[in-house]
Amino acid sequence: MSFQIPIGPQHPALKEPISLRMTVEGEVITDADIRLGYNHRGLEKLAEERTWIQNIYLTERICGICSHSHATCYVQGVEKLMELTPPRRGLYIRYLVSELERVHSHLLWLGVAGHEAGFDSFFMYTWRDREIVMDLLEMISGNRVHYAINTLGGVRRDLDEGQKSKILEGVATLRKRSEYYFRIGATEPSFVARIAGVGMLSKERAIALCAVGPVLRASGVARDVRKEDPCAVYDELDFNIGTADSCDVLGRVVVRVKELLESYKMIEQMVKGLPDGDIVAKAPRKAKPGETVSRYEAPRGENIHYIQANGSDKPERLKVRAPTLANYPATVEMLRKGFIADIPLIFAAIDPCICCAERTVTLVSARSGEESVVRMSDLRRRALARSGNAPVKGNAVWPF
Amino acid sequence: MAVLRTFLYLLVYPGLIFLFVYSTFCEWFDRKVYARLQNRMGPTHTGRFGLLQPIADFLKLLAKEDVVPEAADKRLFSVLPAIGLAVVATAGLLLPVWNFDLARPGWTSFPGDIIVILYLLSLPTLILFLAAWSSTNLFSTIGGSRVLTMLFGYEVPLFLAVLSPAILADSWRLAEIAAFYQARPLLLLPNLLGFFVALIAVQAKLERTPFDIPHAETEIVGGTFTEYSGKKLALFRLTFDVELVVASGLLAAVFMGGFPGGAVIGFAHFVVKTLVVIFLLSLIRALTARIRVDQVISFSWKVLAPLAVIQLLAIILLKGFLS
Amino acid sequence: MRIAAFLPELLRHLFKKPATVDYPFQKLAVPKDFRGTPYLRPELCIVCKACERDCPAEAIEITDVDPAEKRFKMIIHNDRCIHCAQCVDSCPTTPKAMQIDSLYEIATDDRHKLKAEWVFARAVMKPKASAPAAPAAPAA
Repeated sequence: MSFQIPIGPQHPALKEPISLRMTVEGEVITDADIRLGYNHRGLEKLAEERTWIQNIYLTERICGICSHSHATCYVQGVEKLMELTPPRRGLYIRYLVSELERVHSHLLWLGVAGHEAGFDSFFMYTWRDREIVMDLLEMISGNRVHYAINTLGGVRRDLDEGQKSKILEGVATLRKRSEYYFRIGATEPSFVARIAGVGMLSKERAIALCAVGPVLRASGVARDVRKEDPCAVYDELDFNIGTADSCDVLGRVVVRVKELLESYKMIEQMVKGLPDGDIVAKAPRKAKPGETVSRYEAPRGENIHYIQANGSDKPERLKVRAPTLANYPATVEMLRKGFIADIPLIFAAIDPCICCAERTVTLVSARSGEESVVRMSDLRRRALARSGNAPVKGNAVWPF
Repeated sequence: MAVLRTFLYLLVYPGLIFLFVYSTFCEWFDRKVYARLQNRMGPTHTGRFGLLQPIADFLKLLAKEDVVPEAADKRLFSVLPAIGLAVVATAGLLLPVWNFDLARPGWTSFPGDIIVILYLLSLPTLILFLAAWSSTNLFSTIGGSRVLTMLFGYEVPLFLAVLSPAILADSWRLAEIAAFYQARPLLLLPNLLGFFVALIAVQAKLERTPFDIPHAETEIVGGTFTEYSGKKLALFRLTFDVELVVASGLLAAVFMGGFPGGAVIGFAHFVVKTLVVIFLLSLIRALTARIRVDQVISFSWKVLAPLAVIQLLAIILLKGFLS
Repeated sequence: MRIAAFLPELLRHLFKKPATVDYPFQKLAVPKDFRGTPYLRPELCIVCKACERDCPAEAIEITDVDPAEKRFKMIIHNDRCIHCAQCVDSCPTTPKAMQIDSLYEIATDDRHKLKAEWVFARAVMKPKASAPAAPAAPAA
């Protein structure tokens, strides 16, 4: 009996709307189809109407979990455009927050993986420990989720000695707990039985489908922007790229755990080797015309921002390629030949951040349901025609 | 007078009202233990220590809108939750807490009641399957097929494990089995393996982690319950709570020496022993991840069933040795 | 592979105090630099409008009340505020006229109630000890 089951746009396994249409044969998936576009927010267009400073806070809100990744990626690019060199203390604090964010994101993911596998005890314990790093981030930046520590030319908050010792203390506790929980999590038979050998993605296919981040590294490809294109402080730090060769969900868990341990190491190095000096350089309000591409290793993989400046105080164009978008083709490959029970685990294993990746528009004819691809110029022509013909709206006002 | 007694028996103690109160207490206990094992608080604010939380949940569900899907078989869909509750409540009447008189077998305690109680405990599974099938939802259908697939896995080990103490006691009446082990408590020890097999099988029967596959929310939304809402869902939840009480009572009666000491002390035994069983079930729930349905089948046929057979063989040998 | 690998950890926590904070009854202290609700110290404001210009959420609105007397009105729309504290960073005065407090329980049932407004006379660059009388009345 072959039938289609709709996972999403509303489904308990998905925290954000996306539609996965699974063709299943009994309990086995024969085909998968991913549809995006339920959460498009028009961020890139909005960015063109905000100043360079305002856009830091806008890009930060692309994602709720790797908020610092997008802001840092954007700020790196804008600093390149403005030919700004942030002071080294500022850079150290910026990437310290990056690594703390990676810790919180990976702990969150491990909890989610436990929950998707029905292992709620693991979920509760990892999320309890995640509070430690959330509190550290709140102490450093003043907020738990949107740290807003970046500014053009450096960071906004300095670290004092008390905060430094608190970070070291928190990281020591976290390292001890992480090592313990992962040792027992990886030996729990019912949990390992659910994740070992599930969602296979061979090394060749991972490269061919342009997977990024832990998904790629779990297929045995050691690729990491922090190592390959070391921005700012990463070439001064001693760390390894965590990889696994098992190519399955277990491998992705292992890679993330290894990255957690590496991040603890980096945090300690950065706190201990924090240079003296200023934390911020004065930034101009305008950037010279030009364009740049900024890369950053977010917890989910390589994050790319393309920024074009036209000489004003606003960007001409901001293009965001979130890591989740790069992992979708690989996800379809991983889902095939799996069980229905594996869908949430495989999908969660790419650590999807769905609204980060909403950059697509599908045109569906309302009459026939037919889908079509149109050129941007054509789309613009249609939009103009439509807005030209549209009746004049009443005075649209904000609801205050 | 006899009619009134029967009514009180059916409705108040040990019938519906008692089972309702005690099963909500057991749900509270289960939730509290589960939460504390995970370093959480569990229900806290409704009533003292959150004791009234399951009742509050039940009342909340009663007040919710009750939707019957257009495509569903409406009569079957509506009547199944009530039947499920009736079946498990009937099974509750057979526990030897309220029929401890060995000399006078009544209509709730008779030779063979252990088979009847096992049978009545199997019925909710079939009712769940019918409920899933009649609601015609895709997720329900998958849940329903998983319910049946799992039934083939755990039912045989459960029967083998529960019947082996009965074979040793040489009786098919729960009260007599309990009395046999009360007289010879040492003989409970050979049944330990069977107790653990039965514990795991009961966990599967109650569809709790690692066997909550038919309503695995991250996979198939509500599974069998996807289309159920309001009063019907409340009744289904109550059914599972009562089934938890009855199944743990059955294990306590068969493997833990029953409930000696008359109405009052026996009742105290009942409370303590069922809570011990529920504690163990909660511990299993906190210990494990949800496994796949094919893993359930291979686990129960490759591990549980052989263990139950070994238990049975050991008991038969022991019996020959004793006589 | 160990059967029941989690058992010791679970049993250890059975009688420990839960990690949960019973929130509305118990509150955690917020850190020193917490970014809560922005507010204005009107006696220091020189009406440079840097905060209005830099606010990413367009939550700050400064309007003229009486140009002759240099009186201005500032409204902070806390329903639009994203608590980034860029206004505090942008504020050029020392001490800063824009400040942020550590209030975080500001939810109400109506977004209009979240508006805070100040009518004040513009301060001169060097703040005097006795600032001009300012009816600092945040509309509750």
